[in-house]
Amino acid sequence: MKPIIETTNLNRRFGRNDVVHELTFQVPEGSIYAFLGPNGAGKTTTIKMLLNILQPTSGGARILGVDSTEIGPRELAQIGYVSENQELPEWMTVSQLIDYCKPMYPTWDDAFCEKLLKNFNLPPHRKLKNLSRGMKVKAALVTSLAYRPRLLVLDEPFSGLDPLVRDEFIRGMLELSEQSAWTIFISSHDIDEVERLADWVGVINEGRLHLSEPTESLQNRFRQIEFTAGPETAALPPTLPANWLVPEMAGQNVRLVESQFGETETLNALQRIFPGASQPNINPMSLRDIFLALARTFRFKGETT
Amino acid sequence: MLPFRVELKTGSPISEQLIYAVKKAVISGLMQAGDKFPSVRTLSQELRVNPNTAHKVIAALINQGLLEVRPGIGTIVGKNPKPTPQQRSELLGEDVEHLVVEAKKLRLDLEDVTKAVEQHWTKLS
Repeated sequence: MKPIIETTNLNRRFGRNDVVHELTFQVPEGSIYAFLGPNGAGKTTTIKMLLNILQPTSGGARILGVDSTEIGPRELAQIGYVSENQELPEWMTVSQLIDYCKPMYPTWDDAFCEKLLKNFNLPPHRKLKNLSRGMKVKAALVTSLAYRPRLLVLDEPFSGLDPLVRDEFIRGMLELSEQSAWTIFISSHDIDEVERLADWVGVINEGRLHLSEPTESLQNRFRQIEFTAGPETAALPPTLPANWLVPEMAGQNVRLVESQFGETETLNALQRIFPGASQPNINPMSLRDIFLALARTFRFKGETT
Repeated sequence: MLPFRVELKTGSPISEQLIYAVKKAVISGLMQAGDKFPSVRTLSQELRVNPNTAHKVIAALINQGLLEVRPGIGTIVGKNPKPTPQQRSELLGEDVEHLVVEAKKLRLDLEDVTKAVEQHWTKLS
């Protein structure tokens, strides 16, 4: 599949801080890519570089096949963008905002726009400054969806939204799935919201990418393993395989996360290191648990949920 | 709302869980021949699953003959999804496996399990 976003050794420095460091990843067209990381990991900076709001210090990005520093109205008319800190012209009413945005997009779909306004219960004649935060985010989403973008970029769209609005928001963005071409790139520190939606996951921390792969392959290689060590094992051995994350022992009970699971390889390693151990319980993990295991291993800084 | 019941769990692939849920609904009669089946968009919105997963599920069910495509209408439940006894018993596959695993963990033998099943059976009939 052709990537709709592609970065190569993307860097951004602010003063002495490497806010984004050597980022290389691809987002295939037709995917929902979840860009996960704690607050301050470099997600927003990356997105701003993708959309030519910020210039990279070095390296580059291509978006819709065009170098990010060269994207113009033609590309932006095919990209929808909603961010946590989006500034809206607060003095406008919802319908004025729509009239204001519409001329910029040749593919604007009036009927679709109407449908979204209705689904979102947005009052057309109320001024934006008098809307709740949830209403404002929904208004921003309407103006980013109504032209049926090929690529929807969402920067922390859920923060500060109540569960009902989150649900409406997700339903809204999934309206795009009726189109023949769509991709959603969504940054979040809130994994629960994207758990079943994302078919690709990228994890970033302190400006560095930890992984970028299909959710399925990620969930295939991670397992939580629990077993009873047996009386001859008094404590965890000082060195364990590097692909075993967050090993813990309480009494006889041992728990660890295998990040390169293979039926025979894993069982053989367990047998070798814990010869007297019981039959292990091996369980698949949710995206959230995988993320938490990575966060604890690499000591992610900042808030993660 | 969806015309079948499903409670998604982490662990096994979502597409498999969905296919199983739909089969269960068809075989048990909850969904009947000619009933309209939800679109990719509706499935994905209702369950908050990736549209590609929803698409995969519908394609697999069409392929297996449980769903049929009607131009202009969409996807409907197929005419001949008459379940074979084998399909009916397959419905219990996962539950039976779970029961057997639990029984083995407790070191029960087959007789104990059959007895327990019989007891519950009579209790409910």
